[in-house]
Amino acid sequence: MPAIVPVLVVLGIFYLGYRYYSSYLARRVYGLDPEFVTPSHAMRDGVDFVPTNKHVLFGHHFTSVAGAAPIVGPAVAVFWGWGPALLWITLGTVFAAGVHDFGSLVVSVRHKAQSIGTLAHDIVSRRARTLFLLIIFFLLTLVNAVFAVVIGNLLVANPAAVIPIFLQIPLAIGIGQYIYRTRSSALFPAIVGVLLLYLAILLGMVLPISVAPLAGALGVSERAVWIVILFAYTFIASQLPVWVLLQPRDYINSHQLFIALGVILLGIVVGFDRIVAPVVNDVPADAPHWFPLLFITIACGAVSGFHSLVASGTSSKQLAKETDARYVGYMGALGEGSLALAAVLAVTAGAVASTAEWNQLYSSFSVASGGATQNFVEGVAGFANNLGLPIAYGTVFAAVVVISFAATTMDTGVRLQRYVVQEIAETVRIRPLTRNIAAATAVAVLIPLALALLPGGGEKGYAFGVLWQLFGTTNQLTAGLALAVIAVWVTKRRRNPIAVLVPLVFLLFMTTWALVINMIEFIEAQQWVLAPLDVIIFVLAIWLIVEAALALWQAWSSRTSEPEREAPLSES
Amino acid sequence: MNTRSPGAAIAAAWRRIEAFHDEMFVAPWRQALEREARRQDDTFRALVMLDALGVENPVAYETMELIPYLVGDLHDWHRRMGQSTFGDPGMCC
Repeated sequence: MPAIVPVLVVLGIFYLGYRYYSSYLARRVYGLDPEFVTPSHAMRDGVDFVPTNKHVLFGHHFTSVAGAAPIVGPAVAVFWGWGPALLWITLGTVFAAGVHDFGSLVVSVRHKAQSIGTLAHDIVSRRARTLFLLIIFFLLTLVNAVFAVVIGNLLVANPAAVIPIFLQIPLAIGIGQYIYRTRSSALFPAIVGVLLLYLAILLGMVLPISVAPLAGALGVSERAVWIVILFAYTFIASQLPVWVLLQPRDYINSHQLFIALGVILLGIVVGFDRIVAPVVNDVPADAPHWFPLLFITIACGAVSGFHSLVASGTSSKQLAKETDARYVGYMGALGEGSLALAAVLAVTAGAVASTAEWNQLYSSFSVASGGATQNFVEGVAGFANNLGLPIAYGTVFAAVVVISFAATTMDTGVRLQRYVVQEIAETVRIRPLTRNIAAATAVAVLIPLALALLPGGGEKGYAFGVLWQLFGTTNQLTAGLALAVIAVWVTKRRRNPIAVLVPLVFLLFMTTWALVINMIEFIEAQQWVLAPLDVIIFVLAIWLIVEAALALWQAWSSRTSEPEREAPLSES
Repeated sequence: MNTRSPGAAIAAAWRRIEAFHDEMFVAPWRQALEREARRQDDTFRALVMLDALGVENPVAYETMELIPYLVGDLHDWHRRMGQSTFGDPGMCC
């Protein structure tokens, strides 16, 4: 089938979802009020609370939520065939992610732009904040571990990407300093910066860097060496002020995101590539079953709890009108879904020319998950080749994009994890961790480092996909908590919560079931690191189900009284 | 009738693109800088206002002369710090 066909079908469904379903949500479920004074006006401070044009805010929101996760998950999940993957991405985006992202934004706007953790405390129960902290702790631990593995794999497979990736650091700092000191427009420096980065790819192709000699001398794998280097970098980078390195890197990444999406979509249209992978793959008998593991393998790209953190922590402070939440929140979810769609097409149409080749890349779950990101990179190179870029250059270009996304996610992840570690340490009164940034950062780095260095890759240990699925469960639990907050809020306002309850029940059921299946697998395989981790996340899932059920029952019981309304915010 | 030359039209279009680009990509970065500057200001203000917060300030005599410079945006500061009112009635709000 030509790749353009699913593109048109999925984008068409996304359009209908936005046009009709988000309109239903806006009117009947969330009851948006164009006259409501949003926190950006009421608490305007020129820094965090700034009324922002909805198109610009959508850009901020989309570049914050989009990263490497909606690429890796779908690239692994096509192991079960592109049909189930695309179906979950499409339905998940329209009926779960849209509801979740849009709802998180609205509830936050109605509560002085508070974050989802605070909202969980205020709306669900006092215990829910502790639950939130614990879920976030495991989410961040796993996200840092999986992205370190992803980057390690890519740097081993693409030694030409090493120089551009490392040159990106002084380049970002240089652009940052230039804009800061000259106070000029950033457009021209951005163009120059991106061009220099793509020139650095040529340099990298001439001077590929491999750590094989060092790895050989130390008696470890090349990937392990890169993982240690990455965490050493993250340990330092995450302690710098955000404006020194993280923000300038994010700035370059935002441009790369749009360039990469443009290359993929144009490449598909121009090249008219065909999907060579099967709609439903005939997987080996001992492979994990798609039901329910598909729903946690693709988290970002179908529905992701991380979006509720961005929607409630940042975007809600900038929403100029409450009715803009539909465009920013729902459209943000559709943007992420489009990135996942691009990932599916890259690994099923762009990466290989024949079904036999594809079957080799996805011969087992271990092989498929270990090579998924590299398959995406080669797929994008195939699409770029349709536009005239040489395959070798396109491969490094795509590797640089994915590594850049994953590296900034790690930087942010370790930074956030440090706060979580400090907050937990404050609760249990471990003074050295609460006061010492380096000690808290060390904890935030060492736990995911240990997880990332566990032997993986099939015969000698777990497949990368298993670690990825554990990350997916924590992401879906975060989404579950946000949906619980939204469902309780909607119920208290005496509106029909069914649009929120369906994705909430679906996500919690699939996640819990997947955790049970994985738990049995880990115990049978005597994986004594992953099994306890799975058990802890399972306990958190049960806790979440109990909290959500209790809060919903209470909200439902009080429906006879007047619907709850928030006090209007007045302009300061 | 539009009498602008093609060069002026291109320059105007470029400026519009620049403005949109800066708003889209640079604003989050500028926001981070401003947040950091404000955090440092807030810390400084808290030190100067120690007495008002009920904490003995050993250098109150020296910092007192700074207070007039900090009164202007006192209201925003105490709201940011989580207090809807500050000090005795009439002092701020």
